[in-house]
Amino acid sequence: MEILATLTMLLILCSIYFLWKLYSLQRTTNCYLIDYVCFKPPPDRMVNRKTAGEIIERNRTLGLSEYKFLLKVIINSGMGVETYAPRNILEGREASPTFDDALQEMDEFIDTTVNDLFKKTNISPRDVDLLVINISGFSPAPSLASRIVQRYKMREDVKAYNVSGMGCSASLISIDLVRNTFKSGKKTIALAISSESLSPNWYAGKDKSMILSNILFRTGGSAMLLTNDPAMRARAKMRLKCLIRTHTGANDNAYNCAMQKEDDAGFVGMHLGKNLPKAAVHAFVENFQRLIPKILPYRELALYVYRTIKQKVVKPPGKGNMAMTKIDFRTGIDHFCIHTGGPAVIDAVRRGLRLSEYDTEPSSMALHRWGNTSSTSLWYVLSYMEAKKRLKKRDRVLMITFGTGFKCNSCIWEVNKDLGDAGVWEESINNYPPQTLVNPYLEMYGWVADETEETFNREARVEELRTLY
Amino acid sequence: MANEPSPQFSSSVRLKYVKLGYQYLVNHILTFILIPIIVGISIELARVGPDEILSLVRFLNDLDLIYVMSTLFLVIIVGTVYFMSRPRPVYLVDYACFRPKPNFRVPFSTFLEHARLVPQFDERTVRFQVKILERSGLGEETCLPPANHYIPPTCSMAAARAEAELVIFSAIDELLNKTGMRPKNIDILIVNCSLFSPTPSLSAMIVNKYKLRSNILSFNLSGMGCSAGLISIDLARDLLQAHGNSNALVVSTEIITPNYYLGKERAMLLPNCLFRMGAAAVLLSNCRREKRRAKYRLTHVVRTHKGADDAAYRCVFQEQDSEGLTGINLSKDLMAIAGDALKSNITTMGPLVLPASEQLLFLFCLIARKVFKVKWKPYIPDFRLAFEHFCIHAGGRAVIDELQKNLQLSDQHVEASRMALHRFGNTSSSSLWYELNYIESKGRMKKGDRVWMIGFGSGFKCNSAVWKCLKTVKTPVDGPWSTSIHRYPVDIPAVVKVL
Repeated sequence: MEILATLTMLLILCSIYFLWKLYSLQRTTNCYLIDYVCFKPPPDRMVNRKTAGEIIERNRTLGLSEYKFLLKVIINSGMGVETYAPRNILEGREASPTFDDALQEMDEFIDTTVNDLFKKTNISPRDVDLLVINISGFSPAPSLASRIVQRYKMREDVKAYNVSGMGCSASLISIDLVRNTFKSGKKTIALAISSESLSPNWYAGKDKSMILSNILFRTGGSAMLLTNDPAMRARAKMRLKCLIRTHTGANDNAYNCAMQKEDDAGFVGMHLGKNLPKAAVHAFVENFQRLIPKILPYRELALYVYRTIKQKVVKPPGKGNMAMTKIDFRTGIDHFCIHTGGPAVIDAVRRGLRLSEYDTEPSSMALHRWGNTSSTSLWYVLSYMEAKKRLKKRDRVLMITFGTGFKCNSCIWEVNKDLGDAGVWEESINNYPPQTLVNPYLEMYGWVADETEETFNREARVEELRTLY
Repeated sequence: MANEPSPQFSSSVRLKYVKLGYQYLVNHILTFILIPIIVGISIELARVGPDEILSLVRFLNDLDLIYVMSTLFLVIIVGTVYFMSRPRPVYLVDYACFRPKPNFRVPFSTFLEHARLVPQFDERTVRFQVKILERSGLGEETCLPPANHYIPPTCSMAAARAEAELVIFSAIDELLNKTGMRPKNIDILIVNCSLFSPTPSLSAMIVNKYKLRSNILSFNLSGMGCSAGLISIDLARDLLQAHGNSNALVVSTEIITPNYYLGKERAMLLPNCLFRMGAAAVLLSNCRREKRRAKYRLTHVVRTHKGADDAAYRCVFQEQDSEGLTGINLSKDLMAIAGDALKSNITTMGPLVLPASEQLLFLFCLIARKVFKVKWKPYIPDFRLAFEHFCIHAGGRAVIDELQKNLQLSDQHVEASRMALHRFGNTSSSSLWYELNYIESKGRMKKGDRVWMIGFGSGFKCNSAVWKCLKTVKTPVDGPWSTSIHRYPVDIPAVVKVL
């Protein structure tokens, strides 16, 4: 009967339509990184050796032991003389920051970086469907996300999220938010912005565990455009393969090791406890246990299983043996972006993953050139690799970050095409890696190790500093 | 003379019945079309006789088994694919609000006394604050955190953290007790608190206290104003689409301690008078087994951001005054901007929720006005046909009045908002949940009822969420209104004399 044939035809057409719909839904769940731009502050915001010393000298509440401690920290910080700080700190107003200082710091970053990104990618702000901004230390009302919507006159139905207080690993948390929203299947363009606010967070007290954050953090920021539209795949630089988040906050030591609080005198600062490295290692190990199956090729995975069984069953682990079974991560990953938390962090990751100097060079150099830029550091490291023309098609990049809470987040990107954009490293890439690694701060401040309370003459030293440079 | 109805009244009654008839016709149009078709088919069948039917049945029996099986297979595939591609339903299993203890109460007399004793306030400032309080619509039982009961208020970070722990933990404890949910089963955690964002975040504080899993997806949203509660719900919905069989805990609060303004700018003193402590914890899920005990299902979320307009962006603005004190500046055109944002939100929400009758009328009116240039007033769709209950953010008396006027709602529709403002004050993003609890406590929530939650916030944002009630809520309801619901509703005078 014709009716039956017609009905069957209709059914077949229906099924083809639904299957095609499901397939297109799956295709739009990929997360592509179209492009990113890192912030390069103007030259008058540079912190050179003289400025660094001056800032410390200015703080009259510090005695010799604190002074020594700080200078030792700077010497061992792994930072060079071209890092950047906010204006109010350089101008001597660090102890009394105003609201406008903080907003100005953000505006300077947003105006240059986000503008550059839109120009580079030729995407209009009105095309942005999703906006995620993460800035830990400053959260005004209306939010910074609203500030961006206002500045760029974005659409009324833009989904804006302002993530705050999530520490140095917040950049990957923003990417996670974007990735999850992409899974709905609707074609979306997302703008993710990552930075840190330093102006309002200067610690004006004497507690050594809290002064560290004054010395270690530097200005930085980055803006990324992402999409799940398969039509933009050809333009995209990288594709996100997986993202793993680990939160060890359930452990009290991990939660308390980095905490913003008031000291005994009532000054608010970021307390960095002595058990921070241990908490970081715990979080790192837990994160990697989930990451390993996703990054290693099958052969290496099989070898890992074999070695683990051998270690645990044949030779039971000794007391406090936290070492992971020997794995060569370079079989699954080509490039490593490690959060530039400090030389200790980079060294620890290098030892833990058994990497070479070449693998951790981008992180060390980013730390040297830009300092610890908190959550945005990964993008400076990535930019270094791109500027050095290391990123080739189908390479895999691993990003690892650590943050307060204590969190360890990691993700893997697959490079879509050969990349060679020097970006923010354009003027300095030829100087890296430097020929000598003599610490410039050691040269200028190394004398501090020899001083004692009797011999230390602050005024004389300050005068000397002024006449020298 | 008094018994005879006026001609206007009769005509309006007639008009009302015409309108009702029209609505019934349009909304049930399918039924009206199907009935004649069914009648026609049955007449045809009766006329044709049983022989034809038997021959049809015999024909079907003769078909190949393979043919039948493949058709069945195809039907199953189509059915599966269809069900798989539909968005996952998001259920609200339950929610709990923070119940402040009586010792946190700030009656008008306490407010006045404290304001007078704070050295930073001069007499003019005190009088202004009290004048605002008199006209605010707040009652005598609103609460402020412990730090604000000191003279002058102690706004330290430690005190702010203490308030956060107090409000958030008690709301979450109550929620976990009510639902029997084990902390280890929570997969997603979203916290929103506008004006207090410490490091580590409040979400990390919750993970630490309840020992949540290490692979939890936690997000801490900050600075997003009084509408942030619905933004968190939207984010939770997106995450629940990406992850099946998951539970999401959404915590909405506002921490008052660090935000007490001790200056002289009038526009910045308003929040002192209006904001009060509160918190809500909501458990959302997309697990099928939760459907049985879930209270509501989330049907729509619509977000509108008017930040592109400079005036809208600046109307609620945190800044430092001339003396360097930080406070929130509320501009005078806040109401106009709120009305405008609401209109934009309704424009998107309308087609999603309004019945066909209203949409047709609106379209007809629009065409007449724009194409034929007929001078009619813009038709405001009757949202009472789409929703049974309304939860309007208790931002202040003026906001509720403005919305009641714009949406042409009755006093009973906005009663929940007014009473929540009276009993708890402006608790920012959690106010919607106090209002929902009021409606439930009054025994008005029946199965199938639709609730519209509208939130406004700095930016300027207007967000709405639509919930559908899955089972009738029986009274008495154990919630923040348990001890006071019998006294409500109260008549709130325009001015309550204090001075």
